[in-house]
Amino acid sequence: MATIRCPICEKQFDPAQSPAMPFCSERCRQIDLGRWLRETYSVPVERNPDEAGAGDEAARPDETKP
Amino acid sequence: MTDTLTMTDLPGDVPGLDDYDADSIKKLTDREHVRLRYGMYIGDSSVQGLHHLVYELVNNSIDEVMANFAKNIWVTVNSDGSATVEDDGRGIPVERHEQTSEEKGREVSTLEAVMTNLNMGGKFDKRSYKTSGGLHGIGLKAVNFLSNWCEAQVCRGGAMYQQEFEGGAPQGALKKVGTTTKRGTKITFKPDPTIFKETKFLYDVLQKRLRELAFLNSGVRIHFKDERNGESEEFHYDRGLVEFIEYLNRASEAIHGDVIYLKTDAEGVQVEIALQYANEYTENLHSYVNNIHVPDGGTHVVGFRTALTRSLNAYGKKEDLFKDIAPTGEDFREGLTAIVAVRVAEPQFSGQTKNRLNNPEVEGIVNTAFGEFMSKFLEENPKTAKAIIRKGLLAAEAREAARKAKEVMRNRKGVLGSGSLPGKLRDCLSRNMEECELYLVEGDSAGGSAEGGRLRNFQAILPLRGKIINAYKSREDKVLDNAEIQAMIQAIGTGIGADQDITKLRYNKIIIMTDADVDGSHIRTLLLCFFYRQMYQLVATGHVYVAQPPLFRVMKGKARPYYVQTSEEMRSQLLERGTTDSQLDLGEGRLVRGEKMQKLAGLLAGMEESLLALERRGISLKSHATRKSSEGKLPVFHVFLGRAEHWFTSRAELDNFLEQQEAAGGKELTVSDTPTRSVSEDTGEEPKSTRSPSEESAPHAGSEHSGSEHAGNGEAVNGSIAATSGRASSQLHITELHEVRTINQGLADLKAQFGYDLDMLIPQPRTGSDQPRFVLRRGEHNVPLEDLRGLAAAVREMGQKGLTVTRFKGLGEMNAEELRETTLDPANRTLVKVLMHDAGAADDMFRVLMGDKVEPRREFIEKHALDVRNLDV
Repeated sequence: MATIRCPICEKQFDPAQSPAMPFCSERCRQIDLGRWLRETYSVPVERNPDEAGAGDEAARPDETKP
Repeated sequence: MTDTLTMTDLPGDVPGLDDYDADSIKKLTDREHVRLRYGMYIGDSSVQGLHHLVYELVNNSIDEVMANFAKNIWVTVNSDGSATVEDDGRGIPVERHEQTSEEKGREVSTLEAVMTNLNMGGKFDKRSYKTSGGLHGIGLKAVNFLSNWCEAQVCRGGAMYQQEFEGGAPQGALKKVGTTTKRGTKITFKPDPTIFKETKFLYDVLQKRLRELAFLNSGVRIHFKDERNGESEEFHYDRGLVEFIEYLNRASEAIHGDVIYLKTDAEGVQVEIALQYANEYTENLHSYVNNIHVPDGGTHVVGFRTALTRSLNAYGKKEDLFKDIAPTGEDFREGLTAIVAVRVAEPQFSGQTKNRLNNPEVEGIVNTAFGEFMSKFLEENPKTAKAIIRKGLLAAEAREAARKAKEVMRNRKGVLGSGSLPGKLRDCLSRNMEECELYLVEGDSAGGSAEGGRLRNFQAILPLRGKIINAYKSREDKVLDNAEIQAMIQAIGTGIGADQDITKLRYNKIIIMTDADVDGSHIRTLLLCFFYRQMYQLVATGHVYVAQPPLFRVMKGKARPYYVQTSEEMRSQLLERGTTDSQLDLGEGRLVRGEKMQKLAGLLAGMEESLLALERRGISLKSHATRKSSEGKLPVFHVFLGRAEHWFTSRAELDNFLEQQEAAGGKELTVSDTPTRSVSEDTGEEPKSTRSPSEESAPHAGSEHSGSEHAGNGEAVNGSIAATSGRASSQLHITELHEVRTINQGLADLKAQFGYDLDMLIPQPRTGSDQPRFVLRRGEHNVPLEDLRGLAAAVREMGQKGLTVTRFKGLGEMNAEELRETTLDPANRTLVKVLMHDAGAADDMFRVLMGDKVEPRREFIEKHALDVRNLDV
């Protein structure tokens, strides 16, 4: 039986037994929903300041790298 | 239950009012009283009451054990259905009992007295037992009075005595049977079927209670045997309550390793508490007073809970662990497995079923004792403390989330179910779900282009704008706006969570369309993660897609532009174009062109990324070249053994070396995660393979984020030289430079196909010539090159002549028409269907992005910044 890890409580569980995939329980799913609604899930914003000179970037996409 | 007898309780005809006279008031014998009012003594006449008879006897024996007079208790269910409880204690006294003998006018032994006389027993005298589970010596009599027959055997003072009872009455006087070296009391009885509805002892019921008693009284050894089927067990727990907790949590996942345990005496009350948190949602608390299970708790449990909540809250506040939510006492009860056992000299019980301890002083005693202990424990065990706090926070969050979900449900009717459509949705005309598509468009101005460019008959647009927030440490983050999440759920129509109904899906395809840059990929990851977690069905049934907007627009003169989707594609197109009609002049009349030129450029292009990867580790090709083997291979393994640095080109070589070292050192090498010294900044400089440690002492770790040169290996070295120089020259650290395998393959190909050496890739010092080393020619363009590494890039640049290549920074840079042509129109667009494992991978990535660990996050971003389009999700 392959178990997976609940994203919220980190418990290992059997997916076949869970009523709330990919969570272990409806409760953990609800915690997750609460976090979405409270806007606690975020991803970092990346600024790419050197993208201004559009033209030759295709040719030298590596220039920003060593 | 009351002690006062009223006439209606009496057996016989129901007397009328007129019959209420002196004859109505009877004095019941003790036996009659017990048999009539057995509820007072054993609870009831059910199976529970039946087993209670055994417990009463076991309690007496445990009192002997606790008073250190006995070690063993034998509980046996005999084959005739009777039960025997025996211990190796002092034995009930057998000498003549003055008080009773006088009353009865005959010789009465103490044994007989305690077997037949209520209000008689050793427990009234605090000298015999400090605290006891047996209720004032009533147990033995209750057993006797409620049995068909009962047999008592006492071994005491070198002799064995025996007396038999029937229906509670002695059948002859106490007899001395003989001499013995044994000690103890043995009672055998057969329950009276006229009292008990069921007289069959149940193995499981006895087993459970006996085990519990053994847990509660560490050191007691209870031998349990059922003669009816030959089953037997022994219960003996040296660690008592700790083992009890482990037993209760045996099927659960504990969130901290050790059981927290306190045993103390305060103001005459013995307090014993054990607890552990497990990954469960309910509380599993068992409370005991003098070994008796008290299901409704009482003052001792109140004191425990108050102290637990107080100490956890104080710790959480002090450590600043509560951010936007603070757990309540209730929250800290989730997942708690606890035993609260007290021993009180004069327990008072209250409540309908006498199942609650009522002694007011106990609350304060437990509260103080446990509070002090727990606060100290948390201070001293921060890891466990934080795990518990985190558990409480989750519980608080669950509570809060449930409230929030309810609120959203109420305020915006049907938002989380199905219902009205969001205002921002530009819906399609068709109502035929099979053909309908919903584009979720993220990007500052993309929504407008998408709205203008869509095929509105069957394509709907929901613009999303990620909200910028200021995350911690002055980092900017993007979140999905609460209102937009709700709009998304509304538009899709299936609802979420337990109420998901996939048949209510309003669109056959839900298409995520984000900018083709790092930000866009992050938002896409966020959205995929949301779908995976909250609309699992949608992903599982294959309704989620990712749009593939082009990354480049290519214009050649006045011809219609064409679009290229990925950087790789663009690069290979330019490379191909650049190699046509171009030739490489290697000097001295050597020219490369045509097919050979294409091959060479392709080969070099294939090495570009690996060379960059190597340099990102802080190792330049030039310095690495000095380490090449006699066959021209570059080393793949970088090894530190102690402070000595070694390089190996193959696993076999490395293994060979390690074997030799282990043989020489006579012990196994210790593998460490960090090198004893750093790979240093030898990029482009003279190689320094044998530096002394002192040269390393300059702080180095701090540069890991700033310099692009040594992001890879030069970490965690700061200060470690001094720390490690004194110890273990057998500390082993191995870094495998995976990219060198590709480089070696490329070098081999260069040698085999072109006869070129590694030198061709490295600028060479040349004197006496102002001519460039190599020249790339195409038409009238000449590009001088000092090495072949730059060839692929130079060729691409050639290929770009005459073209206008525009890289789209965002969807918004495309006008409506362009967007339709490339990304919306099913005739031309590319859609990638999101499979379950993609979404799972997105979730994994998301965890990394979300994670507090800076390092994996930075690595992740670096990796994907290299090639935005390779996010694979």
